[in-house]
Amino acid sequence: MDLHKFGVKLFFVNQQDRELTEFIPVFHGWIQRQALAGHLLIDVHDYSHVHHGPGILLVAHEANLSIDEAEGRRGLVYIRKQPARLRDVVEAAQQAAKQLSDEQGVQFNDGQFEVFVNDRLHHPGATEIAESTGGEVVPKSTDPRERLAFVVKRG
Amino acid sequence: MTWKEQLAAKIPPELGREIDIYETQIELRKLGKIDEKLFAETRLRRGAYGQRYDNGQRFDGFQTQHLKYPHALTKGPDTMWDAPGMQRIKIPFGGLNPKQLEALADVAEEYSDGILHITTRQDFQLHFVHIEDTPTLMRRLAAVGITTREACGNSVRNVTACPLAGVCQTEAFDVTPYAKALAYFLLGHPDVQDFGRKFKPAFSGCEHEACGLVYMHDLGAVAKIQDGKRGFKVFVGGGLGAVPYQAKVLADFLPVEELLPTAQAIARVFARLGEKQNRARARIKFLVDKLGIEEFKRLVAEERKTLPHDPRWTQFPAVAEKPLKPASSLNCDRPEGFNAWLETNVYHQRQPGYAAVTVACPLGDITSTQARQLADLVREYSGDNVRTTVEQNLVFRWVSEAELPELYEKLKAIGLGAHGAGTILDVTACPGTDTCKLGIASSRGLGRELRERLAGKFFTMDAAVKGLRIKMSGCFNSCGQHHVSDIGFYGNSRTIGNHKVPHFQVLLGGKWRDNGGSYGLAIGSVPSKRVPDVVERITERFVKERQGNETFQDFYARIGKAESRKMIEDLMVVPPYEKDPTFYSDWGDPREFSMGDIGTGECAGEIVSALQFELSAAERMNFEAQLAHEVGHFAKADELAYGAMRQAARGLVHEQWLDVPADPATVVREFKTRFAPLFQPSLAAYLFRRHEYPPSTHTAESAHRLIEEAQLFIEGAHTCGDKLQQQKAAERAAVLKK
Repeated sequence: MDLHKFGVKLFFVNQQDRELTEFIPVFHGWIQRQALAGHLLIDVHDYSHVHHGPGILLVAHEANLSIDEAEGRRGLVYIRKQPARLRDVVEAAQQAAKQLSDEQGVQFNDGQFEVFVNDRLHHPGATEIAESTGGEVVPKSTDPRERLAFVVKRG
Repeated sequence: MTWKEQLAAKIPPELGREIDIYETQIELRKLGKIDEKLFAETRLRRGAYGQRYDNGQRFDGFQTQHLKYPHALTKGPDTMWDAPGMQRIKIPFGGLNPKQLEALADVAEEYSDGILHITTRQDFQLHFVHIEDTPTLMRRLAAVGITTREACGNSVRNVTACPLAGVCQTEAFDVTPYAKALAYFLLGHPDVQDFGRKFKPAFSGCEHEACGLVYMHDLGAVAKIQDGKRGFKVFVGGGLGAVPYQAKVLADFLPVEELLPTAQAIARVFARLGEKQNRARARIKFLVDKLGIEEFKRLVAEERKTLPHDPRWTQFPAVAEKPLKPASSLNCDRPEGFNAWLETNVYHQRQPGYAAVTVACPLGDITSTQARQLADLVREYSGDNVRTTVEQNLVFRWVSEAELPELYEKLKAIGLGAHGAGTILDVTACPGTDTCKLGIASSRGLGRELRERLAGKFFTMDAAVKGLRIKMSGCFNSCGQHHVSDIGFYGNSRTIGNHKVPHFQVLLGGKWRDNGGSYGLAIGSVPSKRVPDVVERITERFVKERQGNETFQDFYARIGKAESRKMIEDLMVVPPYEKDPTFYSDWGDPREFSMGDIGTGECAGEIVSALQFELSAAERMNFEAQLAHEVGHFAKADELAYGAMRQAARGLVHEQWLDVPADPATVVREFKTRFAPLFQPSLAAYLFRRHEYPPSTHTAESAHRLIEEAQLFIEGAHTCGDKLQQQKAAERAAVLKK
């Protein structure tokens, strides 16, 4: 069973109204410095014209990262494309978030984030998600056609 | 459980088999058993396209980075295996149902970036897709009746048609059944496998509207009724690209039952006489131009007489759409913003009480979530059908008019309630430097900027300006259809001092109506950052000096080219880098502008003959024989190896006899008759022996030997094929010379 296709969304608590396009040079800078360890950073894509879309996308070989606006809630989304354990996916997302905080002053909600499984065929249960993330896991009530998603709460 | 197993019962067997073959070809490429050019054309014919930076290099603003992908393997010349690619998905006549929209949403989310991009030819495109995900992606689409076959490469591309077909007030008749029939008749047809370039068909219900844009297509059909009979005015040899050609009339009236065989005859003539080596001259427009339309007509008529009858020629599918709800009139409360939307996005159908609604999708993009929400709205308000448009939008049909306000509110709630469809706001742009290997300037970046600026002024604009169309391409190749817009732009570059500056060439005089009735001409190149000023300047002048109901084209013709250029001349000046460096980067891209990221385009596909495909299929079949042998299925291995030889032999025979059947006796007999002098006798004997003396028992040794022999036979077929290609080239040159 191929279970690497996890996604993590870490929510912004500030800079909600900052122009999305201001993150374009930030991501280009990351590519110039290949600033994300363990990732081959490739390109930046502007989806700021799309309602509640992926906003500004940073494409890497290992993952797609974006300043995401889904559901009208801005956050940093990390979607894994290459094999990795969920624990490592969460860690990679947090590493990227830390970089954004250090460079741009973005603050993230440390107590709560979302995990989703970008795979409609294979997906783990809430217990496995909880074990890997070390938090209280609540299935997110969504449209059954949407990807399986969980809210992870950490004390 | 895999998707292949999960969906086995839902995928039509033939489609499933095609995808299995494609997946095997991926494995063979990974093993180095398929040449990279052949693999490139193979994936292109399944819609798997290259994307910018896939040569492993990218200019980061300061230097060119060499992207160190994990594997050195390539998926085409200069195309890294692991580099993200684009998947194009054909939507014949733009028609799809909610289930298909949902499947597209799922695959966009799981294998792409969660965005579905609608193209200027009614396709969908997904970006940043890994080649190894493509077979699964294709299976999931196949399970809902969508194929990606021949979406790219030197093949028949998506058959486009007017999105209002069947509900239009001015059409002669609904072209949908004919567009659909042609799309599926030509899909994978043996006669369309040997083109030197792509071939794009289009349908229109009437001549005077834009609809199918038939004048700019390789093959165009406009619905016409003559003496009470349905038929088409048929055009051939149009095309945009760097040098646009207006299509010529092939037939003023062709009865509907002659449409498919005529298309087949055109395909045969194009395959036989079209240019194969020089890609820049390989579209059918060049052949028609070279031969002259009269000679081309004669050749098509001659070819038509030789075609064996095919019952599919007159099998036109029933596609009548039924309204979901009773007709009604719009006499209820109107929410805020509704009237502006009604004015631009709603078309009153021929059928009273119903409307077609255009959902304006900014730059052709919608998210997977929006696609699912749209699927719900289609089910609730329209029924089972929605169509994509060449202006990168979606059209709901059969909306009961009283429900328009409710639909508007729901579209607004999902961020798709924007007004301005089909107006100056509805800017069309090709992918440009965002993802295209050939892009020079950022057409999408410019499109985004123009949309924003024009939106702010829309309500105070003169009505004549609101109705103008702006289209842009990132380079001269015209994917944004800039030639047929009122104001068109295509990306280019100029050097100022030691720096490159992104520019757009300005084109005026193009005509959207009359099926792309005339092509605009360039009046001057302006720096990208000045384009919004150019639009403002031109539109203001038009409003100020317009005489009566003068169209923009007439206005442009009246003031003349010289005056038009004078109008923008001061905007062509670029300030020095030291004074304003913003001119030296493109819209939405802070990197200093560079031409260094332009790669080799795949629009032209690779020059791979139909015979090469047949021989590649034979090799794949022989590889499958090896796999069967490995697991002890010796009878199956024997049958596959024998089949591989027949496949290769049939490929050769097909070069001389296009309608060769597949039955073994005919193939072997014809091969023997036609190729004995050209084929190495010891290798030919392998096929004859196996054909005449099938084994009564199957052992590991006998199967192994046959696999070895089949491989040698295929090698012999390659050598024989080279001789044949030389003969054919000489024959083609002789015909064209005559």
